[in-house]
Amino acid sequence: MRKAILALVALMMLVPGMALAQSSDGVVTVVHGVPDLDVDVYVNDALTLPGFTYGTVTDPLTLPAGDYDIDIRAAGADASSDPVLTELVTLPAGANATIEANLDGDGGPKISVWVNDISAIDAGNGRVTVRHTAAAPNVDILANDGELFGNVPNGAEGVADVAAGDYNVKVTAAGDASAVVQEVPALTIPEGTNVIVYAIGDLGGGSFQLAVQSISGLHSAPTGVPSGTGGDLGSNVPAWLVVSLVLATTTMIVGGVKFARERN
Amino acid sequence: MRNSVALIVIGFLTALIALLTWSLTRSPETVGDVVAFEDALTFSSQSRSRTTTTTSIPESGADAETVPADIPGFTIGVESQGHNRIPVGLRIPALNKVASVIQAGVEPNGDMEVPANVDDVAWYKYGPAPGEPGSAVLAAHVDLAGQGPGVFFGLRDLEPGSAIYVDFDDGSTGVYEAQARKTYQKEDLPTDAIFSREGPAVLTLITCGGDFNRSLRRYDSNVVVYAIEASGGPSPTNEGLTPVAGRESDAA
Repeated sequence: MRKAILALVALMMLVPGMALAQSSDGVVTVVHGVPDLDVDVYVNDALTLPGFTYGTVTDPLTLPAGDYDIDIRAAGADASSDPVLTELVTLPAGANATIEANLDGDGGPKISVWVNDISAIDAGNGRVTVRHTAAAPNVDILANDGELFGNVPNGAEGVADVAAGDYNVKVTAAGDASAVVQEVPALTIPEGTNVIVYAIGDLGGGSFQLAVQSISGLHSAPTGVPSGTGGDLGSNVPAWLVVSLVLATTTMIVGGVKFARERN
Repeated sequence: MRNSVALIVIGFLTALIALLTWSLTRSPETVGDVVAFEDALTFSSQSRSRTTTTTSIPESGADAETVPADIPGFTIGVESQGHNRIPVGLRIPALNKVASVIQAGVEPNGDMEVPANVDDVAWYKYGPAPGEPGSAVLAAHVDLAGQGPGVFFGLRDLEPGSAIYVDFDDGSTGVYEAQARKTYQKEDLPTDAIFSREGPAVLTLITCGGDFNRSLRRYDSNVVVYAIEASGGPSPTNEGLTPVAGRESDAA
């Protein structure tokens, strides 16, 4: 037994990573959604993502909360040259954010900052987030041919918790379910995971595509385990105890009655 | 006079001996170091590690285009959620039970699904498989109205040290050893620990127990057994297992 407990303690120490995000940190993911432009991304004047290409989603970076200067220059451009895009981004403690370079509705480049929903998801569900960041008209998002998000304009997002599983997802022109822009036959929404889908590029220019980020570990425990309706387990009091106590009580009553009679 | 006093004394002693015997022989509600397991599996929501995976779908034209289903990131399916192997069978010689293990999710009300068949065991498919970090949950009915006693009818008496064999879909077998057992009031069930996906690899068996409410047809407690992989790793043999008629072992 002691050995087992020791083994358990040893196992606990081995739990990998345990990269406990300090509450004073935030998490940032960077998405490249501007077509035909390889870039260098500078954070506080330091080259952080060199040669960042269209459609790429970075792994999450854990950063101390605070303000960050984000400068985006064409790949290989001099660090002192004027950036193509620049933005001061505030990262609050505990936040999970995505910084995205993308096109606005007119096809101009911009930087978008998204706050990702990392609140707990009910057991059995996953979360789907759709962000329209492409040079394209408003769209509808259909899941299994039912409308999930309607009339989403550039710069907007839709967030929904759904039962975990595979969904047929279609991006269509707003109001016209037959005008399918893109179809994902089986988008898997894993349990406890926020799957974030970005529509990027220029629909007219042929560079329209999807990019996906997913954040797992948002699961909750089931509320309980209902595992018996028979009542066969019986009471905790065994029959022999009941019989013994009844006999003992009867004996004492008989003795008591006798005792009272004899005294009279 | 003497007779009547003797009767009273005998009655009193009988009651005393009966109560003493009961308190000494009944299965205690808690056996083993349950707290060590609860603590090892408890994580604050802040410390819970969040992993992010990323991918992008290849460029497609403006025309409607079908993306193949096997693009990485679009097939992080339940089946492929990092499980090398999934449990398909459970054998507990001390209870003389052999059962099929089926995959289970969540009921609409948020409770874990438990098989409709009293002879089956459910594995919580969204959590770890046995052997993976965290608590792998196998749940079964203690009994069901109309079906009688279930696979885990004897779980409330399973003693620490008892062997538990888990058969996997790849033909392998894991050997686990019961370490601790506790009967929790349902409202006190530590669900965050029991369904933890982090921490040491623990095999957790759950069923119902405690007092039965006949009008609600429900028990007021859950019996939980915590087990860990037996030292020396999984054994390929069936050593120590009483053969049970009707089912051949999957073990190689």
